[in-house]
Amino acid sequence: MKILHLYHDLMNLYGDYANLSALCRMLELNGIEFALDKKSLGDEVELSEYDLIYIGSGSEENMKLALDDLKENRDILAQYVEDGKFLLLTGNSFEMLGEKITSFLGEFEGLGIFPFTVTEQNKTRTTDDAIVNFPEADMTLVGFINKCSEIEGITSPLFNVEMGLANGKGQKTEGIRYKNLFGTHLTGPLFVKNPIFLKYFAEKLTGTELVDYVFSFERKGYEKTLKKLRERNGK
Amino acid sequence: MRKFLAIIICKILRVIGKFIGKGSSLPGKFALKVCPNVLSKIKLPEKIVAVTGSNGKTSTVEMIAHILRTNGLKVIYNAEGSNQIEGVTTFILSNATLGGKLDGDVLLIESDERYAKYTFKHFAPTHLVLTNLYRDQLTRNGHPMWVYNAIKESIHDSTQLILNADDPLVSLFGKDREGTLWFGADKLSTDSSEFNGVYNDGVYCPVCHGPMEYSTYHYNHIGHFDCAVCGYKRRNTDFTVTKADLNEGFIVIDGKHRIDLALKSLYNIYNLLAAYTVASVMGIEGERIAECINNYTLKNGRVLTFRLGSRRGTFLVAKHENSISYDLSLKVVASDTEGSDVLIIVDAVSRKYFTSDVSWLYDINFQLLDADNVKNIVLAGAYANDLAARFSYTGIGDYKIKVTESIAEGVELLNNDSTDKIYVITCFSDKGKFLELVEVE
Repeated sequence: MKILHLYHDLMNLYGDYANLSALCRMLELNGIEFALDKKSLGDEVELSEYDLIYIGSGSEENMKLALDDLKENRDILAQYVEDGKFLLLTGNSFEMLGEKITSFLGEFEGLGIFPFTVTEQNKTRTTDDAIVNFPEADMTLVGFINKCSEIEGITSPLFNVEMGLANGKGQKTEGIRYKNLFGTHLTGPLFVKNPIFLKYFAEKLTGTELVDYVFSFERKGYEKTLKKLRERNGK
Repeated sequence: MRKFLAIIICKILRVIGKFIGKGSSLPGKFALKVCPNVLSKIKLPEKIVAVTGSNGKTSTVEMIAHILRTNGLKVIYNAEGSNQIEGVTTFILSNATLGGKLDGDVLLIESDERYAKYTFKHFAPTHLVLTNLYRDQLTRNGHPMWVYNAIKESIHDSTQLILNADDPLVSLFGKDREGTLWFGADKLSTDSSEFNGVYNDGVYCPVCHGPMEYSTYHYNHIGHFDCAVCGYKRRNTDFTVTKADLNEGFIVIDGKHRIDLALKSLYNIYNLLAAYTVASVMGIEGERIAECINNYTLKNGRVLTFRLGSRRGTFLVAKHENSISYDLSLKVVASDTEGSDVLIIVDAVSRKYFTSDVSWLYDINFQLLDADNVKNIVLAGAYANDLAARFSYTGIGDYKIKVTESIAEGVELLNNDSTDKIYVITCFSDKGKFLELVEVE
């Protein structure tokens, strides 16, 4: 199993790296051999070599640098997704997959792998705690969204929003889902915050049933946060 | 007329507010409703000094006020730290005459960094100090670059900037801006040639995004940076910490003024230096300034000592959602070679707003506590399990760590006859919950 943490030092705003810390622990615990590579701007990288590619969240400026850098690998990445290999994108990184980003920084052509568009503004930061439902596995996740963008035109979302922000204003769904692509605006270590989702993802990635008995603090933390968020939402 | 009304309302509400112990932003809020541009109509002192940045604002402002007042200047400042436009309006109007004049030599303002553009819409500071820009309250602030842009909008052309030269993002405010004053530290004995921390916000040049090099790191991404691609680099400083000895507990400014530290932490060095710089700009002699802040103990309660049974402890504030603030407090614990137990509390992420987000725990370098002199670690509060999950990635042995959601139980776990010191690290939001369980000295 080869895992790539792409733009690890550029798209790393909210402790997102810990998604891979948790995933690697899950693999180790289950005796699955893997190699984790870290690459960033300007590095030589052969995307097709990997079984999982991960990118986290960054500032609007840094995301444009990543986008520019990723463009030369656009076709390879599109094929990678089409081949059903695993791509996990958290925070604003999945916005790179669309057609176009209209931003306070200028107009940017996206990777054009999916037909959605993004608008970014620099007046108000849109942030909120989140409860989302993952219909595919009938599970509820907690997290946080921290953005300044709206997305239009995603037809296959990842989550249904129970509380918090959706892809765009007036929408009820969040993220993007296609074959083995998982994209969500949930920031930070969502695998740590949602150990059930980590297990689901890791089992899908490895194609085997896994044990997860070392994640007891994570489970308690998850219960606590879900309770707090539901209490607040009920108010 | 509206101005007069706004002042009256503010003064009355302030008196009532003080009487019933209410916060200091409400009177200003009402005054602004009556007269939205009231601040532009007040006759302000000739010198207006504003301090903003992620960390150290309150301490820096307190020390500036102390130095200036000791030297006979009349200083008006928001000691309560209510630093958004409403709070600033409250303290300006309640100190103004009914005719709308603020009598004093210096108006000193601690300003919230993200809201500075509102506060300074109606008047311009003569001097603006920027302490640093870190990841701080990102659940509201987005990220440091977002805050940078918000502050940039608030800066008037007429204002003289006083900048931390060792912070690459803060320094950007002074790029190509004449008349800027720079403060910073020479290479110190506590420096490192390697980056220390979980993430590095100085890894790319903020101007050209090329890789940045550091000849020395003071802490995290604060140090002597240099971009080999575009030439953006740390500026030479006008006011400088030329020596720091944290074991003995003193610093030397500009090679000649020794100042003993009440708090032996990197924490305080930049705040002291920023205060020294402002006082110098206000015309006070270096020697006088050094005398004033020698061994100065901050009154804002960010460091306290306490007793728990037969044990003695030190309480250190680390702001939740602010990893550098945590890192600096953790370094104080790690560098205490005499051995200690540590209690870390995360019960409410913020006292001002609700969030259940714990992502920021993963930006904190808790590995610093992986040392023989740190004996027991107690993690407490509603988010104790999240803390424990974070600690499970530090490599610190499970046997050292105890976890409880109850703060009282966490404190009780340390109420024993050990002779080791206790360190308690938490935020303002959880400070009171802890202090009521011990005897504050």
